[in-house]
Amino acid sequence: MSGPAFPAVERDEASEPFFAAAARDQLLVRRCPSDGVMLGPQARICPNCGGAELEWAAASGHGALVSWAVVHQVPVPALAAAVPYLTAVVELAEGPWLMARLVDADDRDLRAGLPVTARFLPSGGDGEPAGETLVAFAPQGAPA
Amino acid sequence: MTGAAIAGLGITELGKVYGRSATSLAADAVRLAVADAGLRLRDVDGLLVSHGMSQDVGVSLASVLALGELDLLAEVSAFGATAGVMVTQAAQAIAAGAATTVACVFADTPLKPQERAGAAWGGSRGRSLRGLSGWSVASGAVSPNILYALCARRHMERYGTTSEQLGAIAVAQRAWAAGNPRAAMREPLTVGEHQASRWIAEPLHLLDCCLVSNGAVAVVVTGADRAAGLRQTPVHVWGYGQAHAPRQMRAGSDWGLVTPAARSGPQAMRMAGVGPDDVDVCELYDCYTYTVLVTLEDYGFCPKGEGGPFAADGRLAPGGKLACNTGGGQLSAYYMWGMTPLSEAVIQARGEGGDRQAPRNDVILVSGNGGVLEHHATLVLSPHPASRSVTG
Repeated sequence: MSGPAFPAVERDEASEPFFAAAARDQLLVRRCPSDGVMLGPQARICPNCGGAELEWAAASGHGALVSWAVVHQVPVPALAAAVPYLTAVVELAEGPWLMARLVDADDRDLRAGLPVTARFLPSGGDGEPAGETLVAFAPQGAPA
Repeated sequence: MTGAAIAGLGITELGKVYGRSATSLAADAVRLAVADAGLRLRDVDGLLVSHGMSQDVGVSLASVLALGELDLLAEVSAFGATAGVMVTQAAQAIAAGAATTVACVFADTPLKPQERAGAAWGGSRGRSLRGLSGWSVASGAVSPNILYALCARRHMERYGTTSEQLGAIAVAQRAWAAGNPRAAMREPLTVGEHQASRWIAEPLHLLDCCLVSNGAVAVVVTGADRAAGLRQTPVHVWGYGQAHAPRQMRAGSDWGLVTPAARSGPQAMRMAGVGPDDVDVCELYDCYTYTVLVTLEDYGFCPKGEGGPFAADGRLAPGGKLACNTGGGQLSAYYMWGMTPLSEAVIQARGEGGDRQAPRNDVILVSGNGGVLEHHATLVLSPHPASRSVTG
């Protein structure tokens, strides 16, 4: 199957700050200004106080592996060229969990708690229009 | 307060049933269930409708069935927990005097001719990827197969659970399926064959995943006193529970390791006055082998983390200590969401299991699980009226 390993993603109004930061190799998450709780980029409501006025905040990009799967069967057509791929749940140092692709990793070396670091990778290409920069993770210190 | 009982069961043709709408199958299932109970359609004063993936059946089913005035009519949607939620709502309506005879039906037609079963889940979503939800799709955790794989992997990492232990669940259920004429897969299975089946999303093999089926299943719930005078052995509702816990995606979350079954199960068993040791038959929702394992833990059949060794010692298979998924479940028989365990529970409670009838059927525990281990419903059923003591 030809096509990009990361299918092209377009920004919309709500995701503009997130993708603009990703293009500068920076990971943004959401923070509740009233109690400082850090949440994933897609959070809308603070589970702690119920506040809905969340703001963007920079995360360190460091985290630990919670779980992972090696996907062999194409789940949606957009990922036809990606299989087999590693997808993971990562716990950021700031607390939120992200679901993201895991790159530059050998699945035999993975374990829960493994330190991982954000990677900023292009989407699209390979015969498709280029998309936004996407956030993925790699084992800490893994050569790119 | 009036206790409730399941008085009728209707099951249409199941599996690769093409050319029928879910609504038409649902109508058949309700008619079959009402006739099975020895009732007539005009006796029905409540209808609860549940759709699956095809979302092709709703409250208009009442007019398709030419039902008259109803006192209860709703579409119920809690994913795989829906069947248990529907029976609970029916039992509560009957106890409150709001309805007397409630048909609960599930119907779905996700399978299309010449399309692989896997395509039924998300295979046609060929849209462009936009915004953060587009990033989520590109990130790849986009199907139940993958999300449950993440849950199973987490359990493996935390407790040392193995793929072979999950395989033992598939093997035990296949052995039960051999005795079920409605089961799609009845050939014996070995753990070796489970291990050799292709990866879907590692650590889940093909044979860790449920089937996909077209069809419909309905039950008729009525008051226990009334059920006693009807055609079939009443299947009494001794207890029910439900619990929901949307995924917490942050530090400290036990997502994947502990499910709402840990609250729903004890709630239903407390209401029934039983504990895990009293249970003769378990009909557990099995979208994946792992769902069975984690539900057994959360219901208290074994301590948290010991589900792997517990399930792998043969106790769930025919002749084992705990008759579990006696019809083959959704892994080997048919995929009718929560109606799969519920329908088999009714068959077992009536003693109509034939070659697969469990040796004892006094207390039957039924689970429904939905979302990605986020929604749960539990029923405790028995052929005996609720007042009967089971501890003696």
